[in-house]
Amino acid sequence: MVPAMTAPPTARSLDSDLVRESLTRPEAFSALFDRYAAMLYRYVSRRLGPEIAEDLVGETFLVAFARRKNYDLACEDARPWLFGIVTRLVSRHRRAEAARYRSLLRTTPEDVVESPADRVAAGVTAQASRPALARALAGIAARDRDVLLLVAWSDLSYEEVARALDIPVGTVRSRLNRARRKLRAALGDTNPLHEEA
Amino acid sequence: MDDLTTLRDLGRDLEHEPPATLAHQRRRLLDAASGPRRTFRAVRPLRVTRGWAALGLAAAVTAAAAVAVPVVFRTYGFQAAVGDPSVTAPRGERPPGAEETLDILFVGTDSEALNPRHRAGTGARSDTMLLIHLPAGRKKATVVSFPRDSIVRIPSCETPGGKPVPARTDMINSAYGKGGLSCAWKTVESLTGIRVDHAMETDFSGFAKLVDALGGVEVTLPRAVYDRKAKVRLPAGRQTLNGAAALGYARVRYALGDGSDLMRVGRQQQLMGALVKKAEKLTGEPAKLMSFLDEARRWVRTDPGFDAETMLAVAESLRKVGPGEVEFVTVPVHPHPEDRNRLQWDARGAERLFAGLRKK
Repeated sequence: MVPAMTAPPTARSLDSDLVRESLTRPEAFSALFDRYAAMLYRYVSRRLGPEIAEDLVGETFLVAFARRKNYDLACEDARPWLFGIVTRLVSRHRRAEAARYRSLLRTTPEDVVESPADRVAAGVTAQASRPALARALAGIAARDRDVLLLVAWSDLSYEEVARALDIPVGTVRSRLNRARRKLRAALGDTNPLHEEA
Repeated sequence: MDDLTTLRDLGRDLEHEPPATLAHQRRRLLDAASGPRRTFRAVRPLRVTRGWAALGLAAAVTAAAAVAVPVVFRTYGFQAAVGDPSVTAPRGERPPGAEETLDILFVGTDSEALNPRHRAGTGARSDTMLLIHLPAGRKKATVVSFPRDSIVRIPSCETPGGKPVPARTDMINSAYGKGGLSCAWKTVESLTGIRVDHAMETDFSGFAKLVDALGGVEVTLPRAVYDRKAKVRLPAGRQTLNGAAALGYARVRYALGDGSDLMRVGRQQQLMGALVKKAEKLTGEPAKLMSFLDEARRWVRTDPGFDAETMLAVAESLRKVGPGEVEFVTVPVHPHPEDRNRLQWDARGAERLFAGLRKK
């Protein structure tokens, strides 16, 4: 398991310091872009595909910039805040998201090999379970899916997901459980390979 | 292997690396950070949705229809084919129009097979509502997009059948959904205070068919184009694109140029030019002309006053202004306080945008 989507903040200045600085020196905000734009792009490209991702990441930072005065400066790490904005923006593209998952039902393995992204390392198991997963993902309620994908794909902790979506941690857990039950039902029904793993 | 692991594998499969063009978004942020600018540009930092992709496509499709249709109609006097007497300008008090400006409401509907709701026969939904604003002099064009999830005040109006639809607060696209093009027209006028001269409705899924009915469109590509996203694979050189290929070509963004929308707008204008040429040739081929008109009748509708000469003037202006002079803006919005999945217009930002357009 290699959740390499998120770059943890290092010893450099804290995100909250950058936000504070941007209140008087707006250009300072671009440092947050440099830190997190690629990470957010990757996340959105998973959910909505590359074409929408670029604009959406741009929107995310415009929204974040416009709302920086409301940022809770006690939060040193801006990622939950940014993922929260991303999630809200992604929710405007439900049809695109559903279409993306549906398209997986039609994608043949050859298509994947041909793709320039060339990410076939996930192997045969993932390939085989793909249609079932895609169908399950499309069928999970939007708010549950938001939680599920933040946990699985952004690598935020439950507490951070809770902060991103402005919901209690208990709600994160219950939504995640509900979503995973659906996933497991879908995978279990169709993929005998799971028994070996 | 547990479900989250499988899901993470899938995620990695779906992931794309950030393109170099992501730098454009950094510039957008810096533009916003460098402080408010004159007129409605100042509202940019507040904008939440721009939907470039949809907008560019909508502009290409509607403009292409607007280009090809009048060329044919002017010659043959067939404007009546798309002019629908049931599409009427709002009655009662209307905003005053500025001198020599032209404002046209484009409603793009989407009945693509993918959409089960539409198949169920619940009527067309407006997916895209654009106001095309041509200022006096026609040196530039502004295309204002109204996000479909906007909750707005919709005035009372009548359906094409004369059934009254009461005033209400609802999603903006319900104006069209419940009352048709005339209601959308009245709503946009009442919301923007801009006098809208004409209204036009196009079904996106008809674009490819319109191009096919024209017998394809001829373009010259400097190099081969392969864009998996837009489902396009074209060799370099001179060639005739069928409808599907033309639609894909209009949508291509990453495989050509610098990935910017300016490049795409330029390409769409090239396509429009090619369509005009083709439409002009068509006037000598009655059989093809008839099939084109049949398609046009199915996919395009306007108010009866939107005559061929006006359409042609609009089409020509859209085609001739420089790609950098077509400005796409979205009404500034933020999440609706009562329903975060809906949008509320930013009252000040929206008014600044509309006020700028009312004046010139």
